[in-house]
Amino acid sequence: MYTRLVMDQSPRIRIDPASGIPAVRQIVDSLRVLLVEGRLGPGATLPSVRRVAVELGVHFNTVAEAYRQLAAEGWLNLQHGRGAVVVPRAVPAVADGAGNEGLRDRLRGLVAQMRAEGISVESIADELRALAKVVKRS
Amino acid sequence: MRLTLSIVYVFVGALVFALPNMTRRELLFAVPVPPDFRESPAGRHAIRMFRLIVAAAVAAGACALLLAPAGLANAMAGAMPIAISLAGVLAFWRQNRALAAAAQQYTRPREAEMTAAPERLPWYGWLAAGPFAILAAAATWLAIHWDSIPARFPVHFDVDGQANRWAARTIKGVYGPLFFGVEICAFILIMALAGWFGARRSRTRPVMLGGAVAVEYLLGFVFALIALQAPLGIPVWAIALCPVAILIPLILVMVRKMSEPWEPMDPTPNECWKADIFYYNPNDAALFVEKRDGLGFTLNFANRWCLALLLCLVLVIASAPFVLA
Repeated sequence: MYTRLVMDQSPRIRIDPASGIPAVRQIVDSLRVLLVEGRLGPGATLPSVRRVAVELGVHFNTVAEAYRQLAAEGWLNLQHGRGAVVVPRAVPAVADGAGNEGLRDRLRGLVAQMRAEGISVESIADELRALAKVVKRS
Repeated sequence: MRLTLSIVYVFVGALVFALPNMTRRELLFAVPVPPDFRESPAGRHAIRMFRLIVAAAVAAGACALLLAPAGLANAMAGAMPIAISLAGVLAFWRQNRALAAAAQQYTRPREAEMTAAPERLPWYGWLAAGPFAILAAAATWLAIHWDSIPARFPVHFDVDGQANRWAARTIKGVYGPLFFGVEICAFILIMALAGWFGARRSRTRPVMLGGAVAVEYLLGFVFALIALQAPLGIPVWAIALCPVAILIPLILVMVRKMSEPWEPMDPTPNECWKADIFYYNPNDAALFVEKRDGLGFTLNFANRWCLALLLCLVLVIASAPFVLA
């Protein structure tokens, strides 16, 4: 029913106003997925704060704050007049397993939420396998 | 002339009458409802009551205009559009209040494309320059045929087609309608561009841009005809019927477009709609959002650019006495 106006290949972020999660966090999380997966590579320029804010129906400051957070994480370079540009980011050197506990808890919490919402265990496993493939490729 | 005016007013009344059919199915009298609500007894009753009031007002107004004695005809001609508008607004508002309890909040995720490709106007956006060319052509013709313009010519007519106001062959008298046409067309162009760049991408957005360009042409034609009326002897009824002739195909095309399957309704928060007419949401960066009555876009009154657009409108209206003879 819903016809996209642009090709599906173009990187997109999505927020759900009814989710209860703050919009700025949803924007940061969605954008980080695109950056980690390489769908927004170094040199790519992000659309203006104004355009993204209009499309997502949020305040300009919300998008600006999301861009600032990602810049603080080392993903973006915010230059006045040039917009937000994706920059090469050195992956922090962390020993395997170290500091993973918190993230593992979040992942388990997410899986528990999916099960609570009625998604079958098989579907969740399929999603995680597909995700793992994407992570390995990137 | 009475008959012509009656036709125009009945046409306007028919548009108001058909209003419930011209909106998307999730909206009825500016209330967000389930798509199948209008087939329910409550939905059908609301539409029936609305149409009853509008039909009564239009029929009464048309009869009054056609049958009024000569002394009252001009007053009736002025009162009829006001009566139709009032009847439409009151009937709409009454059903809006009656359906308020059935309102539901639509929600859906929103997406944004993350490429910095510049946003371009569709090809027909450039056609918006056309009306200015029409007005310029009319001005050129008037300049060339300046000597053939009568020294004094009628610019306003009563309901029986008799001239009741005159203008002299001066710059203001001859070019005034064209200046005013340029002002109005420029204002519509500004609104169309602001609507294109200040609204979320949707399938409604290009339709509205096309509609704005068409209305700009309509006004360009009408003001060019008004300016050329005296030297060319164009009948007044032809100028009065010109908008109807352009609006009928325009409305048919737009209704056909709007009846195509759309993406879901823009999930603007219900609490940000004041009387389901005015949208005020400081947390939404959009300057224009889809209207709750289902016909086009409206301003987000919390956006600072809204004031600039309203100021433009005030300037256009305020300039009328200075521009027109």
